[in-house]
Amino acid sequence: MQFFRFALTRAFLAIVTLIMVSLIVFSLMELVPGDCAERYLAFKSSQGGAITIADIDAERVRLGLDRPYMVRWGSWIVNAFQGEFGNSCILRVNIAQLLGDKFWISLWICLVSLLVAYMIAIPIGIISATSKSPWLNNSLRLVSYLGLALPNFLLALMIMLFSTVYFGDTLTGLFSKEFRDAAWSFERVMDFLSRAWLPVFILAWSATAFAIQTVRALMSDEVGKLYVTAAAARGVSGRRLLWRYPARHSLGPIINSLGFDLNRIFNELPIVALILTLTEAGSLLIEALALSNDQQLAGAIIFMLTASIVAINFVTDIILALTDPRVRRSILG
Amino acid sequence: MTVTTNSTTANVDVKVNQKLKEAYFTASQGQLIWTRFKKQTAAMVGAGVLIALILAGIFAPFLTPYDPTIDGRNKDYVYGAPNVPSFCDSNGCSLRPFIYSYNRTRSIKTNFRWVTEVDTDARRYLTFLPEGDKYELLGMTFTTHLFGVDTGKIHLFGTDSTGKDIFSRTFHAINTSLAVGTIGVFIAFVLALIIGGISGYYGGWIDSALQMMTDTVRTIPAIPLFMALAAFMPDTWSSETRFLFISMILGFVGWPTLARRVRTHLLTERNQEYVLAAQLCGASAGHVIRRHLLPSFTSYIIVDLIISFPYMVLSETALSFIGLGLKDPVNSLGVMLQNVTDPDVLLNYQWHFIPVLFFITLVLAFVFVGDGLRDAADPYADTKK
Repeated sequence: MQFFRFALTRAFLAIVTLIMVSLIVFSLMELVPGDCAERYLAFKSSQGGAITIADIDAERVRLGLDRPYMVRWGSWIVNAFQGEFGNSCILRVNIAQLLGDKFWISLWICLVSLLVAYMIAIPIGIISATSKSPWLNNSLRLVSYLGLALPNFLLALMIMLFSTVYFGDTLTGLFSKEFRDAAWSFERVMDFLSRAWLPVFILAWSATAFAIQTVRALMSDEVGKLYVTAAAARGVSGRRLLWRYPARHSLGPIINSLGFDLNRIFNELPIVALILTLTEAGSLLIEALALSNDQQLAGAIIFMLTASIVAINFVTDIILALTDPRVRRSILG
Repeated sequence: MTVTTNSTTANVDVKVNQKLKEAYFTASQGQLIWTRFKKQTAAMVGAGVLIALILAGIFAPFLTPYDPTIDGRNKDYVYGAPNVPSFCDSNGCSLRPFIYSYNRTRSIKTNFRWVTEVDTDARRYLTFLPEGDKYELLGMTFTTHLFGVDTGKIHLFGTDSTGKDIFSRTFHAINTSLAVGTIGVFIAFVLALIIGGISGYYGGWIDSALQMMTDTVRTIPAIPLFMALAAFMPDTWSSETRFLFISMILGFVGWPTLARRVRTHLLTERNQEYVLAAQLCGASAGHVIRRHLLPSFTSYIIVDLIISFPYMVLSETALSFIGLGLKDPVNSLGVMLQNVTDPDVLLNYQWHFIPVLFFITLVLAFVFVGDGLRDAADPYADTKK
């Protein structure tokens, strides 16, 4: 019962956070110069029609842009929770239709990168925190530092250059030509997988470096503690000792920060997408923000992303409460 | 005889030991950190490189031969390959390093691409402390540069699409990137100290509310946030204003991580006896934070600042790279990195990658120093291992 109350509080807090985030995102989109009406009519005039101030005002009324700020935010957020983001300012297409599965593709790319990063980082981080060999330690450190120092876009560029020169294929895009607009089928999935490994690899590259550092720091804090010594004195040793005692403790904070890790990976997606000319939400976002100033589209993508992060944070909170007896006790009293 | 000498040396040993111990127990926090830091080779090397790079950035106008802006360009040597100074060749050796002369041709035969022929018979000698472009350093105007060449111009790292000297640009870029990082870190630090400090010291509902705010800011992905703020920046702004604005954005987005750490430190420290003692003596909250709590973790804060520095530099780079950050007249490492994405540059003019090496070195140096400092600032580091 108490657990349900905890879950409910968390869910409530998550929704409050999401509403606050939506206000920030909405305000940010307002900061972008010009509004939807101006942009649409500017597009129209470039098509040869003459427009007047009155036209712009009429368009504003039609789009509801003449209403007060808070009212517009209210209607935006209510629609957003129903998955309805209105039309794109420039392309005049419904955003849900425009995004299609692109957002989910992006989210999956990021999630898989995160998974890959931790699958590599957890064993390596534990080894690096517990090994006594300075040589192993230093080389692991250097590798993980290189992951930080070599920015994703440079890595992407170098891989592209290499593959163009040696394989004659730029490895760009997410689909081959024949599958670009095809419906989802087994072949399309296989084609997607044969190309998606590159963005996943590039995103996982720096994420791994970061994760190794976190795991190493948390682990080296725990291995020196008395309960580990006590366990060792009882005769537990080797891998069993590490996995059952310090590793379990140090992985708690990592589960807790998964949502923010996803945030960091998604951060880098637009830049990688720009170089690899991926056709997913990251590149749509960069196009909407940097090139066409499409507030509606950009707002929708950022909102969906933050909603995913908040959702992941909520799930990890619940998982942590279920698995970690310390957290459980602090909630249930 | 031998016994006495032994006992005197033993006496001296004891005295030395005593002195060492005394020095150890009376040493200030800073001295202890420095002693531990000195033991780490990697961190020391990092620190040396870092100091060299910072000095190179500050004295860039003197160390580099030309103005990094369009004024200093060499319009006869566009997309020119690096000149490598040497002492010896088949015509004999010289004490002064020299570079060769060149002839550039462009015709239908070369596909309208500049082709440079190095003339190994015509030497151009390097000169030291020549007069050159005017620059300002430490509030004074100078015209003397560290080195130059007697005829024509020297381009150690080659030139870019407009003939600007990449060597000069790289050094000035280090300066700009460090300045952006410093302003960004400073703003983030002040915000983190205030928000984290209040939330950690008072705890309770104030803490919960501030934590929620911090988490909200952390939930919004930074790059889209940057992009939205940068899109707000009018094109008419001068490059200096843009520069200031970008640094401020970096600071305003970067505070949550630092704030969290300040809060955690304060939460653990505020229940210690010495804080209670101060409070019982009637000290105000501000006094307790300033005089008792802050000194207890200054070293951690310094370490955190240094660790967050490369992330600022990286963010600036990423932002400039997508074209929303600093723009061309300003030289930052991000602007320099932007050049290498051009396929033409990528395939034909690879010397544009030289600034990339500087960038990687700078970030690596920061990370090594930060890590070394973190280990050195941990008073239990020795006992743990």
